[in-house]
Amino acid sequence: MGLRGGQGGFSRKSRASSEIPTSSLADIAFLLLIFFMVTTTFRKEKKREIDWPKAQATKKVDTKRKNILHIWLTRAGNVWINDQDVPFDQIADMVRPIYAENRQLVIEVRADRDVPYSMVNTITKQLQAAGAVRVVFGTRLAQRVNRPRR
Amino acid sequence: MPLLQRRERVSDEIPTASLADIAFLLLIFFLTTTVFNEERGLPIVLPEKSKEQAVAAKNIIFFLVQPDGRVVVKRGQSEETQTVTAEQVSGIMRQELAANPNIIAAIKTDPKAPYRDMIHVLDGVKDAGADRISLQMLGED
Repeated sequence: MGLRGGQGGFSRKSRASSEIPTSSLADIAFLLLIFFMVTTTFRKEKKREIDWPKAQATKKVDTKRKNILHIWLTRAGNVWINDQDVPFDQIADMVRPIYAENRQLVIEVRADRDVPYSMVNTITKQLQAAGAVRVVFGTRLAQRVNRPRR
Repeated sequence: MPLLQRRERVSDEIPTASLADIAFLLLIFFLTTTVFNEERGLPIVLPEKSKEQAVAAKNIIFFLVQPDGRVVVKRGQSEETQTVTAEQVSGIMRQELAANPNIIAAIKTDPKAPYRDMIHVLDGVKDAGADRISLQMLGED
């Protein structure tokens, strides 16, 4: 008793450190929560399995997600637009109404890197026919090591 | 007296202990449902159907992508060709751009060539800073 009474400062300090401060926990959680709420976009379509072509000049597409239409071209040669398997000669008919609704539309061609170019050429020709001329070839950033700078 | 005191202490604070739980619950929901934007690629504007225009031959450099991945470079009027690898395209294009800023890079790809080789060449041309690019297929037009 005499010991405690004489060293009140000690006992106070030990009381402060014996608890984990949880008052800022909610702040941290809300901060993360807001980050994820802002960055999240809900998936509209199924992802297709493709091997991405690699390119050094890969850039982020500077357009809102709702202005982007994906055209998937799988290695097997199937074209998928909005989860529909579209024959090559009907791509223009498929894209035209979507483009008419949204003139800001950017088409992102997501083609497997091993498909023959003739398939990609067919797609670009169909897009031209539909009038949707702003196209992005979806790629992944290549490592700079692969290609020496000159 | 001690009983009264205790009851008073309980009622005069807003309970914030569950706030973190609520926040974390929402956080986990957004963590699991989130898909990050991965719209990345090489942008290009295709010519509109009716607006294809003739260009002076001296302003064109052709990159003919072969099925085996090699690239044949042909400059405007001259019949001379030069066979290079896709890696060299960037350097060549840089030189051409320095000599003539109005030059158009015409990438003509063999129909049988894999898409990746065309992207490889397009990447080289873009990397050199060119923005006047034309995409064609060999044996067309």
